[in-house]
Order: sequence, then C-alpha cells, then structure tokens
Amino acid sequence: MKAWTWIREHAVLIVGLLVIFYMLAPIAVIALFSFNDPVGRFNFEWSGFTTQYWQDPFAVQALTDSLMVSIRLAFLTSIGATILGTLVAIALVRYQFFGRRAANLLIVIPMATPEVVIGASLLSMFLVYGAKLGFTTLLIAHIMFSISFVVVVVRSRLIGFDRRLEEASADLGASAVTTFRTVTLPLIAPGVASAAMLSFALSIDDFVISNFNAGSEVTFPLYIFGANQRGIPVEVNVIATMLFTVTVAAMLAVIFQQKRAEKLAERRADEEAEAVPA
Amino acid sequence: MNTLRQRMIPYWLLAPGLIWLALFFVLPMYFMGELSLKTGSLAEGYQLTWATANYTDAISEYSEQFIRAFYYAGTATIICLLIGYPLAYAIAFKAGRWKNLLLFAVIAPFFTTYLIRTIAWKTILQDSSPVVEFLKFVHLVPQDGRVLATSGAVIAGLTYNFLPFMVLPLYASLDRLDLRLLEASKDLYASTRTTFFKVTVPLTMPGIIAGILLTFIPSAGDYINSTFLGGTNQAMIGNVIQSKYLVINDYPTAAALSFTLLVIILLALLAYIKFAGTEALMGEDEEPA
Amino acid sequence: MTITPNTKNMKLLLLAALALVASMALVACGGGGGIDEASNNDDIGVAEGGDPTGNLNISNWPLYIDGKTISQFDKETGTSTKYTEDVNDNNEFFGKVQPLLSQGASGGRSIIVVTDWMAEKMYKLGFIQEIDHDKLTTVFDNLIPSLESPEFDPERKFSVPWQSGLTGLVIRKDLAPDVKSVNDLFDPKYKGKVTMLSEMRDTVPLVMAADGVDVTNASTQDWLDAIDKLQGAVDDGQIRQFTGNNYVQDLAKGDVVATIGWSGDAVQAKADNKNIEYRQPAEGCSIWSDNMLIPVGAPNPAAAYEFMNYVYEPENQAQIEQYVNYVSPVKGTKEVLLKQDPGLANNDLIFPSEEFTANCFNQVSPPGDEAEVTKVEEAFQNVVTG
Repeated sequence: MKAWTWIREHAVLIVGLLVIFYMLAPIAVIALFSFNDPVGRFNFEWSGFTTQYWQDPFAVQALTDSLMVSIRLAFLTSIGATILGTLVAIALVRYQFFGRRAANLLIVIPMATPEVVIGASLLSMFLVYGAKLGFTTLLIAHIMFSISFVVVVVRSRLIGFDRRLEEASADLGASAVTTFRTVTLPLIAPGVASAAMLSFALSIDDFVISNFNAGSEVTFPLYIFGANQRGIPVEVNVIATMLFTVTVAAMLAVIFQQKRAEKLAERRADEEAEAVPA
Repeated sequence: MNTLRQRMIPYWLLAPGLIWLALFFVLPMYFMGELSLKTGSLAEGYQLTWATANYTDAISEYSEQFIRAFYYAGTATIICLLIGYPLAYAIAFKAGRWKNLLLFAVIAPFFTTYLIRTIAWKTILQDSSPVVEFLKFVHLVPQDGRVLATSGAVIAGLTYNFLPFMVLPLYASLDRLDLRLLEASKDLYASTRTTFFKVTVPLTMPGIIAGILLTFIPSAGDYINSTFLGGTNQAMIGNVIQSKYLVINDYPTAAALSFTLLVIILLALLAYIKFAGTEALMGEDEEPA
Repeated sequence: MTITPNTKNMKLLLLAALALVASMALVACGGGGGIDEASNNDDIGVAEGGDPTGNLNISNWPLYIDGKTISQFDKETGTSTKYTEDVNDNNEFFGKVQPLLSQGASGGRSIIVVTDWMAEKMYKLGFIQEIDHDKLTTVFDNLIPSLESPEFDPERKFSVPWQSGLTGLVIRKDLAPDVKSVNDLFDPKYKGKVTMLSEMRDTVPLVMAADGVDVTNASTQDWLDAIDKLQGAVDDGQIRQFTGNNYVQDLAKGDVVATIGWSGDAVQAKADNKNIEYRQPAEGCSIWSDNMLIPVGAPNPAAAYEFMNYVYEPENQAQIEQYVNYVSPVKGTKEVLLKQDPGLANNDLIFPSEEFTANCFNQVSPPGDEAEVTKVEEAFQNVVTG
C-alpha cells in the first residue's frame, strides 16, 4: 500500500521524468554520436570517443554550404513573413470589416494542409510557368507557409494588448505615428520577435516543401537527406547539437530576462507603493 | 469618423500578406488541379485533356497507400491523445515549479532538425540496440522480429514527431480551465472520474479537437517517417506523391493524388469549422475592440 | 478612439510590400515555356567556349571523389570549381534538371554525371552537347579499351566515363555464407533480411538472369514477370526494402545479411564491417558506368575539358580510386596504385580481370518504345513504393 501511495504522490514526477526521457532520448543520441569516431562512413555504432569533429565542424564543404543557404533563407524568410504577417494580424485584430471571416480562413488553411500538398502544388505551378527552381522559389515557398504562423503569434500578443495605453498616449498629445512607434510597437515587439524567431526556425527545419521546390539548391535538411544514403558525416551531429544548444540558450536567456524584468517591475511597484502615502 | 479612407485601412494592411497567400497557396492549387487533368510526358509536353481517368486510375492503384496513411496517422493521433492528455494535465495542474521545464522538454525536439531526430530513432531502434533487446525480453517484439521497417516503427516515429502538436493545444485549453468549476463538481459529490469526464473533458474539447487536427493532418501526408523507419510495405501516400513527382516525373498522376489528399483533408477541416467556427480554430473568442 | 497608424506612411510601407510580392512573382516566372511544351533542342553542336581559368560547376553523385582532388585541380589550373553532390538518383536528377535543359539552360553546370542509360536518354532529348576529342587527348589516350565503344555511345560522342562499377551480391559472409546467386535472396531463411536496389536496371536484370533469361534479348514480358516475382517477395516480407546507397548501413549493422549492391560499396564498407564482401553471382553481374556529360547551356566547356583531362592522368585517378574504390576507366592507374596501395591495386573489384567478369553483361534497359519502357518502369516503381 505504501508503495502505491508513494507512486500516486510522485505521479507527476514520474510522468514528467518519463516524458523528458522520451522526448530528449533522440537528442541525447544525436549529441552522443557527435563524439563518436566511426570506423567507416556510417555513424551508428559506438567505436570510440573523439572531439575531433567538434574542433572542426565545418570541414565538409557541401555541408557548410548547405548550412549557409539554410541560414540565409531562414533569415530572409523571417523578415518577409514577419512583415507580411504582422500587418495581417493588425488588420484582423483591430478592425471589423467585410470579408474578415474569409481572410481568417485563408490564413488558417495553409497551417492545416499537409506539407506534401503545399510543396507539390507550388511545384506544379512553377513547372507550368517554367520558373527556375532555386533559392527564389524556396524563399517564396518558405515565406508562404510562415505567414500563417506569424499571424497566429502576433495576434495573440495584440489581443492581450491594453488599448488604454495608446489612448493615454494620444490624450497626451502624441501623434498617431509617435504613438505607434513609442507605445504600440515596443509593447508588441516581443510577440513580433517570437514570430520572427518561429518563422526562422520553421524555415531552417523545413524539408518536405524544400524537397519539392529547391531545384538544385541544397539546404541543410536536403543535404542530410542526400547524405543519408551514403553515410551522414559526424559533423552533421555536431552542427545539430550546436543548433540545439544555441536555441536552448537563447530561450533560457529570454526566460531569464523576463523573470528579471518582472522582478524589477515588482520591486519598483513596491517602492512606489511605499512612497505614495505622503 | 468612418471615411472611406478609414474603412480601406484594414484592406491595405491585409493586402500584401493575403496576396502572397493567394498567389502562392491558392493559385498553385489551381495549377495542380489543372496538371492532374493533363496527359503527356516530359519529352512531349503536357496537354489539357480533361483526363479524369488520372484520378480514377491513381486512386484505385494507390488506395492501399491512402488507407495506410490514414491508418498510421489515425493510430499515431490516438496514441498522442492518450499520452498527451495526461501529460498536459500533469503540466497544467500538478507540475508547480517544474511546469516550464516540462513544457520545454515537450517542445525541445523541435530544436533539432526533423530529419536528424527521425534518423536518431533509426539508431535507437536498430535490430541490435539495447532498446530492441529489452522489447524482445518483455515479449513486445517477437524473438525473431525487428522493430525497424515495420508499421510499428513508422507509427512510433509519427507519434514522437507530432506529440508536441497534441500536447500544446491541450495544455493551452487546460490552462484556461477555471479550477473552481472542478471544485464545484467535487462539492456536488461527483467522483474524480465523473468530474473528469463530465466537466474537464467537455470544457477542454476545443483543445482536444485542435490537437487531433494538428496531429492527424500533417501525419497523413508525411513521408519522412516511412522513408527512414519503414520498409517497402510501409509506404504512405506521401511517399507515392513524392516518388511520382520527383523520381518518376509522372506529374499528372502525382497531381491527382495530391489533390485527392487535399480534398479529403479539407472536407474534414471544413466539417470542424462548421462545428466550431473559424475563431475557435484560431483560438480567439473575442471580437476586436 | 482607436489609433490608426498614419495612413501615408502605412501606404508607402504597403506599396513596398506589394512591390516585393510582385517582383517575386516575376522573378519566379523567369523561364517561360514550362512543361506544357515539348522539350527538344534541335541543333546540338560540339561544346566549346568558356574560360579554362574561370568557374566550373560539377554535379556528381555523393562520395564519388576524394577530398583533395578538387582543390589540387584548382591550384594547378587556376580554375574555381564548385563540386556539388546533388545526383542521388538518375530519375530524380533528371526531374530536377529537365525543366532547365529543355530550355537550353543547365543551371550553371558544366559537367553532370549520370549513368549510361540516363546519358542516352538525355542525349536523345537534345540535352547534351557533343565533346571535342581534340581537346580531350589525355582522356582518349588513357581510356581503357573495354569502355572505348559502349553501346549507348559507340563513338564516345558525348560521354566520358567517370567511374565504372559492377552490380552483384553484397553480403555478410559471416551471416549468409552460402549465398551464391540472386535466387538465394529469395530463400525463406533470409526472410526480412534481404534488400535490393531501387535502381530498376540494376535489380531486375539480375533477377531475370538468375532465372536463366538472356537479359540482352529479354522481352517486356520477361521484365514484367521478374517484377511480379519481386512483388511476391515484397508481399510475403522476404525483401525488407528497396534501397539506394543506404543498404550498406543495414549490412554493417547486421539488420540485413544479403543484398543486391554495388562493387565499390563492398570495398568501402569493409572499413565499416570486415565481414561485408562482394560476391559475384553465379549467373553473372551487371556492368555499368557513370559518365561525365557537358549539358546544353554549360557556361564553361573549356574548364570542363581541363577537368576531364586532369582526372584521366593516372596519378590523379589513383588518388580518386583510393577513396572511391570503383572500377577505374583510366589506363595506368593500376601501376600507380601498386606502389601506393598494393591491396587495392590487386583487387578484382577495382581492376576486374576478364575471368572475373566472364558472365557479366552490360547494364540493360527494357526493350521497346517509350510507352513500353514506361510500363515496365511504373510496374517496378509500384513494387518499390509498396
């Protein structure tokens, strides 16, 4: 009986640990095998510890080139998608207009369409037009599927936005532009920033849509797919682990920063509360 | 102050984004539809011949892959729901200070490339791995069997890759749950089980449905998991579409298959929209101020 | 009162966004033409022009060159070479480049490397330029006799072999020691531990040969019968998978014990697992080669010729061979390797003797016109994708 009670009380911990283990197992394997020293071309059996691949992770030219393409693509995608998506989000949240439902639908449907269909249909259009498949077609495709996600993220930020701040600013004589610049924009900035990061991440990770529309351009996931046939170089594991660590660190930094800001705000509020009764 | 100018503003704001989507999402669908009705070859060119036979031929020949895709996606979705709901519940209500850590663990896999983490599963599930040995030991896998290149492996891969899509909407829904309703239920002498099924589940239904859709739809069209973790008998409709477009270059058939998949999924989606409204899909409950 | 962004500035921003959208659309439609039109370039001439010290783009299969050759070539000739390993499958590559080639463009490539049958297909479609033998003296001085006059290009008008190879049995000699013929792959005791190649012209002829069919004179029905046999083996789980190059991984792990595979892989894979070895099927193997071609629209044929001549020097070829381990098309390579790596030099898989390949046949394609060939290709593809 005691054991059962113990389990019940610690059920959350157990479930949590199991989940963490399950979700992170492949990541651990990837990181682990980045230290492997494979005897042949294939990196799936442990044969020796080495840090050599960490010392020179960019040794494989084709891999580095593909990574550069992916980063450039993701960067441009995130700029384009964030601009287009933020504008749409503002319209959908702030305005009541005819066709709002339809616009909503148009934004949502791409998120609910299988990637293979999106990729295939874009390819169909490019083929019929005789468009040259390459970086431009990739960029078009990536911006396309990112817009919806940007809208969703910025939307949620805009909805929680206290309008009275804008009204106060206007009441204090600020012009519309100034208000937008100094009040609205900074306050929705975190949402816009997260949307930008999200579209960056989606773009870097995209395989299916890129598979269909890259032509001869090789992105990082496309490189891995091709390399899988003949042996994925250990450098891929190294870079994947690096990407993971950087993203985690960035996230932790953001959370830490938020906590600090909250603490500061709390402290300031306390100080003011004490100062008021005069 | 409803000048024409004022009223035009939302349209100006929407224009670039929506035009982009119209040009590069909607229009391609038209082209894909048109392509699916053509006949020809790469060498001779393609002509629009209204070949609806492309559809009937393709569907009858690849019905197995369609069914398999929905079967795998459906199974993966159900497993995701069965794992995901308790998990989301635990995170929302019982995690306390571990909440963020657990949430992070759920989305952590997203920070590695989709392909790499699927390939990592290939390493974990290879015939000689400790995991498979263990599974054989507990008789979940027959002694002379294997895990890779089976339906199980593909479903496991789909479950892993799409679990976050199930957990996050569920968590969002559970997080907004007013605990006082649960308390009220208890006060009225309902058992834990009754509370759960009569109060919690119905209230979190939007999250459940969102999770189901967000998991099922991408899984149905996926081909990565079956490429890496499956064998020849595990090909899903996504594999066929990919093969027809990129390897065989039989564009009309490929387009027909892709269009059919799209229509099936859209029908399911539209049914949901009728049920819940587009606002529910986006998660918005309020009208603009 | 709701604050609306200043309409004038907004308008400018939006116009800019719209312009971005429009320009994207225009740029994407750069080609004009597209697949609706038949692809045919009528006058294919001899490839010429370009700057031998300029840029050179090569598209090749993965793991087909060592790590130093390209930079050494660049240093010696002053060229800047971009070597991309984007040929993963003949059909896939064809699909990738066909839209470009049908309009006379090559996407910047001056050399592409594809297998014999695809080279023939591309040439017949007018996608490949002819090569100037006068500029390729080293190549044709050193080309081994057996590759001088292949059936698909008897006068070597448009192709220069990159590497050649044998398709046969690649097995784990510790786990499947008695596999001697492709028919042994259908033995139930290896159920689920067998893979075959997804390249149709590698797998199906070997299956036919094992059943006694004369592959060079096989009829369409022979091909279809062999494909049916494969379908049966897939249905009852005998064949685990049809693979590209990744069967070596499974062999090394032991998940798979006997496969149809390529000679070069067997040599390279010994490093992964020394029990992997190539076995010549009793009924013979299939010999193929991958060829360097100069596509239409190639920006730099001059540099392409330089490169071809460079890799046909025995020393340079030896360096490539040590990494690639396939059959070298260059005379004199064996002698160079004897000094550097005698084990490699005496390997039948890299320098096959006459008797080793006595039963072998040149890689064959299904007979008949395009419709017939497509029928066979589709039947096979249906087996492969389940």
